[in-house]
Amino acid sequence: MNLYVCIKQVPDTETKIKLNGDSSGIDAAGIKWIMSPYDEFAVEEALRVKEKNAGSTVTVVTAGPDRVVDTLRTALAMGADNAIHIELPESADSTMAAKAIAATLKKEAQIDLIYFGKEAIDDGASQVPQRVAAHLGLPSVTVVVGIEYSGTTLKCKREIEGGSYEMVEVTAPAVIATSKGLNEPRYATLPNIMKAKKKEVKAVKLADIGVSAADQKIKTKNLQLPPPKQAGKKIEGDAAAQAKALVAALHNDAKVV
Amino acid sequence: MTWQTFAFLIVGGFAALISGKRFHTLYLLMKAKKGTAPKFGEVARRIQTTLVNVLGQKAVLESPVIGVAHTAIFWGFLIISLGTVEQFCMTLWDTASFEFIGHPLYSLFIQSQDLFTALVLIGVIVAAVRRLIFRPKHLGQSMDANIVLLFTGGLMISIFMMNAFHSLTHPWFADDYFISKHIADGIGHFGFDEGESHGLFTLFKWIHMCLVLGFGMYIPGSKHLHLVAAGPNTYLRHLDREKGMKMINFEDETLTQYGVGKINDMSWKDALDLYSCTECGRCQSLCPAWNTDKPLSPKNLIIDLKKNLHANKEAMLAKKEEEITPVIDTHVTEDVIWACTSCRACEIACPVFIEHTDKIYDIRRNLVMMESKFPTEVQAVFKNMETNGTPWAFSPGERANWAQGLDVKTVAEAGSAQDLDVLLWVGCAGAYDERNKSVVKSFVSILNKAGVKFAILGTEETCTGDAARRIGNEYLYQTLAKANIETLNRYNVKRIVTACPHCFNTIKNEYKDMGGEYEVFHHSQYVGKLISEGKIKPTKSIDETVTFHDSCYLGRWNNVYAQPRAVLQSIPKVNLVEMKQHHDQGLCCGAGGGRMWMEEHIGKRINVTRSEQAIETKATTVATACPFCITMISDGMKTKDMADKIKVRDIVEIIDEAT
Repeated sequence: MNLYVCIKQVPDTETKIKLNGDSSGIDAAGIKWIMSPYDEFAVEEALRVKEKNAGSTVTVVTAGPDRVVDTLRTALAMGADNAIHIELPESADSTMAAKAIAATLKKEAQIDLIYFGKEAIDDGASQVPQRVAAHLGLPSVTVVVGIEYSGTTLKCKREIEGGSYEMVEVTAPAVIATSKGLNEPRYATLPNIMKAKKKEVKAVKLADIGVSAADQKIKTKNLQLPPPKQAGKKIEGDAAAQAKALVAALHNDAKVV
Repeated sequence: MTWQTFAFLIVGGFAALISGKRFHTLYLLMKAKKGTAPKFGEVARRIQTTLVNVLGQKAVLESPVIGVAHTAIFWGFLIISLGTVEQFCMTLWDTASFEFIGHPLYSLFIQSQDLFTALVLIGVIVAAVRRLIFRPKHLGQSMDANIVLLFTGGLMISIFMMNAFHSLTHPWFADDYFISKHIADGIGHFGFDEGESHGLFTLFKWIHMCLVLGFGMYIPGSKHLHLVAAGPNTYLRHLDREKGMKMINFEDETLTQYGVGKINDMSWKDALDLYSCTECGRCQSLCPAWNTDKPLSPKNLIIDLKKNLHANKEAMLAKKEEEITPVIDTHVTEDVIWACTSCRACEIACPVFIEHTDKIYDIRRNLVMMESKFPTEVQAVFKNMETNGTPWAFSPGERANWAQGLDVKTVAEAGSAQDLDVLLWVGCAGAYDERNKSVVKSFVSILNKAGVKFAILGTEETCTGDAARRIGNEYLYQTLAKANIETLNRYNVKRIVTACPHCFNTIKNEYKDMGGEYEVFHHSQYVGKLISEGKIKPTKSIDETVTFHDSCYLGRWNNVYAQPRAVLQSIPKVNLVEMKQHHDQGLCCGAGGGRMWMEEHIGKRINVTRSEQAIETKATTVATACPFCITMISDGMKTKDMADKIKVRDIVEIIDEAT
């Protein structure tokens, strides 16, 4: 099987975000970059499918500035076979990213399944998997927490509102967007880390795939940090007095009741 | 030459062939190992330790009763072997006796044979009574051990019988056989004539010789192999208390195996360790894992590795790599390997200097780096260390936040480390963990009171990598260590003090293998120095009964026992009491060896067991000197509902209050 996994490099979850000079984006200095955690489920899933189907290959794809190649290496170290880096500018939006990824994938000889994380944890947009599916004319199943494979048929378990699940069936080729619970992503073994350092990463320029700055439809004007967290208040007194004080605080200070 | 000459040539030759072949196999198995053994310099110190611990039986005598019994048996074997040599010579050529050494000496020789035969017999009786009647738990039941005792007892009895009949036929020696002549007196009642006595002498002599030869054939497959292996193992022991883990050279592209997956990945010295084990169980009796019902017993680990070695004998000698069964799951389970807290009680207790922790680390290295198998909760720890340089999920940018509002400079702010007395290594716990932040703040307060010029690395500090290394992720360790050494060397840091024994041990004993050489102090040593120099004076009395909990990486790994106690005793009115396990026998808190970040699913909790020992002392304060210990013992006290009654404090918090 020819399995593709599209991944994104994002700031580590512990990063204290700072804004850049004109607040049009974040200050990248000092940020530790990681693979978006939902994408790890996607890579792991593709690797498990590969292990069960001899002769399969896993190709990881990412789009972004040069630093994102490190994240491709992380996926290669987990066990992916090939890597494609689409040279996308830092400011690109979901529309442009999806178009670039779809155009790149169109050039591939044969695709059986394309995995994504259900969303990237930086902008949380949840756009690219569905957009890529649309560009390629493929069905897409999102927020997938379980998959049963039989031939080209995939029974997918989707997490939906209210803690319920939905079972859907889809036929490959298809786009699958994975979520937490699908699997436990592996920790790369050292021989694989060593091998990953030497693997070739195929670079794709936007000009080669007919994508240009005009494909970016959304531009960030201004970002603001959330207000700093305030210290908690302890309400003293007996139950009746506490209830009174709490209602007063919710009404007067928080203005929610 | 008599019939005995020919009989002995046949019997002795056969026995020598069998035991020679068995010993040769053991040698070939050592040679078939692929791992690298450490280097063995410092010959003078090695000879000294061999004399002290083999001939002097020092380590064996750490257990008084059985130690004395063993010493008697050991020396008895040496002395009696001389008699056995004479016996073999005389069997081959009947006039080849040692009588040529002259009268007083030969009498002494005979007397010594009688004396030591008696001493060995007493030793064997003590050992048998202990093993079969008192049955100490750590000893277990072993058919092998019982066979060895039977062999030894049988040898001694046959010597006495032989000597008794010899004294009957050689009455001019009777006075020299000062013990066996009493047996001869008893035999006298049976009224054997000279011919019969001589015949019976020959019978017992042959019984003795056959037992010796049989024993020789039995030893290579028995725990009694320590008779041959323990001596060399003592000579080759790790000489110093301080010990760094062995390095892996990741630049070496010919390396395809990291750690030990199969038994032949170990080194020949590891095999010698396995051969040396006498199954005495001292390691097991002090093991925190074993004592809280975990599946790990250091003794069983060594026995199981030896079983794995023997099970793979044919495949190893035939160099059929693919037929060699992995160590894990064939004879050792993963639970055994992950239960270790690396407290090193086993190694310190071992009378033949087996290094258990090395084997556990090596097996962990294979599990982590080759197979990516480890407790699931550890993955987040590795990832945090990789991206944020701390095992906890915190941002590296917030590493110095604890120092906000305090008079603490970074080295970058101070300009250079050369104007500093010391660099304060904060460590991840001190930087991020609430409880331990207050420990570091107390230490800073002491340093300021003493007028010490110090600075921190601030956000340039990163995890030392201790936990990654002990869990088996050597690659991650080296990445972190390299970054720290680069920073420390860039600022030309010479002296470092830290409140964390894990950081202390790693920077002091392990960074030097990667080009980081510093004078490193644990805060207990540094505060002790400040007190003795009169820079701080604990004048305020603290009227408390205090018990000090030894941190493994301070005590057993670095022999720092006296300073923290001296620091506490310098405070007026402090009444220092010891728990039932302390110093080298101290019980681990349960958090070493990366266990801080693993769940404790099996058995009783180690920290609770240690807290119970502290409660037994009736102390009102437990003093600690390690961020992990303080966390673990505090949790233990909460579990025991004693958190309100017993304070758990770092020694610098107590000193800060007293100054």
